[in-house]
Amino acid sequence: MTATAAPEAALGVLPRADGSAKYSHAGYTVTASVNGPIEAQRRDELASEAHVDVIVRPAAGVGGTRERHLEVILQSSLSQIILVKNFPRSLIQIVLQVEDSPENDYVNTKIVQASLNFAVMPALMQTAVLALLSAGVPMKATATATAVAIARVDGAKKITVDPSPRDIETAQSVHVLAFTSHDELLLAESEGDFTIGEWDEVYETAKGICCRPAAAAKEGMAMVLDDDDAGGTDMRQFLRSTMESKVAADLHWK
Amino acid sequence: MPREAEPSLNEKQFVAQALQENLRLDGREFDQYRPLELSFGDQYGVADVTLGRTRVLAKATAEVTVPYADRPLDGVFTIATELSPMASPSFEVNRPTETEVLLSRLLEKTVRRSGALDTESLCLVAGQKCWSVRVDVHVLAHDGNLIDASCAAVVAALRHFRKPDTSMDAGVLTVYTPAEREPVPLSWLHSPFCVTWSFFGEEGDIAVLDATWLEEQVRVGSCTVSLNKHGEICQIAKLGGTPVDAVALLQCTNVALARVKEFSDMLDAKLAEDAKRRDKGGFMAELRAENDR
Repeated sequence: MTATAAPEAALGVLPRADGSAKYSHAGYTVTASVNGPIEAQRRDELASEAHVDVIVRPAAGVGGTRERHLEVILQSSLSQIILVKNFPRSLIQIVLQVEDSPENDYVNTKIVQASLNFAVMPALMQTAVLALLSAGVPMKATATATAVAIARVDGAKKITVDPSPRDIETAQSVHVLAFTSHDELLLAESEGDFTIGEWDEVYETAKGICCRPAAAAKEGMAMVLDDDDAGGTDMRQFLRSTMESKVAADLHWK
Repeated sequence: MPREAEPSLNEKQFVAQALQENLRLDGREFDQYRPLELSFGDQYGVADVTLGRTRVLAKATAEVTVPYADRPLDGVFTIATELSPMASPSFEVNRPTETEVLLSRLLEKTVRRSGALDTESLCLVAGQKCWSVRVDVHVLAHDGNLIDASCAAVVAALRHFRKPDTSMDAGVLTVYTPAEREPVPLSWLHSPFCVTWSFFGEEGDIAVLDATWLEEQVRVGSCTVSLNKHGEICQIAKLGGTPVDAVALLQCTNVALARVKEFSDMLDAKLAEDAKRRDKGGFMAELRAENDR
């Protein structure tokens, strides 16, 4: 699978969960289910707000510290956008099942101890948001996320959006950024060596992908094509069109 | 976690009485399966089985490890079944339920203990290096008959799987990456499938194939027969307290054989179709690294 493949998503793929979504982009395929608000166990119960429980399950092998780390990051970011105060003493359970991740053909991977890549985060975030929308969980805003890698090729700096495993291996630093639909920075996680200047560049690149104004996307087909070449996919437009097509399909009888 | 809501008394009676009148809620015959769909992923060893609304994803992987000290000539083969809250919120992470234990036991008996995978072929250096093949079963949606769906997914994933090629040269073991050499399939001996019968009625006299989740909650007993297309039975598990007539069970195994033959044919056809899809330009035969037996 090529890293530049356009994102694809399907909503309501699982019949028994309150909400579910399947999302694939840049070689990653993730299925998410959301149940909530449901009864919380006593140890998870919070007196004034809902507990957001995120479970990340790797495709192969048992989850370890890396998965727990991803869970904690996702949990704190998603609690920010879900209206948790509306559902005190309850639980919103998000299960993220990684189905497919791009493989590096040049290395044989260790499997029994699964170690999910840092770059899977945007896919997890995006799937979680889609599943939350599908479950009708009230949220302040939606979120879009992207991964950006900086590599040094012959002394020149090269910024790669949605890096492949091989890009990550050669990159100096990898960054994952998420923005809310109000253009606010929701999540910024970085790995590797980088300067403040580089981070600013990454920020601008990611913002261009996640927060492209809706007007720019509508200005004629040629304009959109130019944009696609320059800054990758327009995540916000993607989220919007996915939801629109789902709602249109659900309400076709009206 | 919230407990699974049991069907109400009315629901239970409705299902039971409909079965007495030879009717099933979804209009199927008693010995009819829901449509079984099987698809393979982009990678080797990923099988997605959909049985009605039940959906199971199996992924096979392999890595080089040290064999167990008491079995120096055998490789390691494990099947991991962990039911996540995705299947139902009543399942909890790291706390196996009865369903999960039964499922993993049955898969173990059907696939591992029946010798479907030749574990001796996984040995690389006796007592030092061997392949560890692992199948992860992910239940995405649970609407009854997890066992049959999971077993089909595991068998399909393993038959689709390719492990990296290796070579031994003057005591040095080389494991080739997919970029260097085309991966090789596992040494597979036979394909067992599970067929689960559910029994209803006070005497267990109504036998039904491929029960849905609602039917599973109402049944008085169940019997899982695992066999391959040659009619070799790997295991029979009869669960639930109600005794079932021996002649009825014999009849069940006969029907099971017919179903298993259908599954086998379908799996063979799907594997051939997938091989054709991957064989772009017809170079696969030349790229192949393994020798014919």
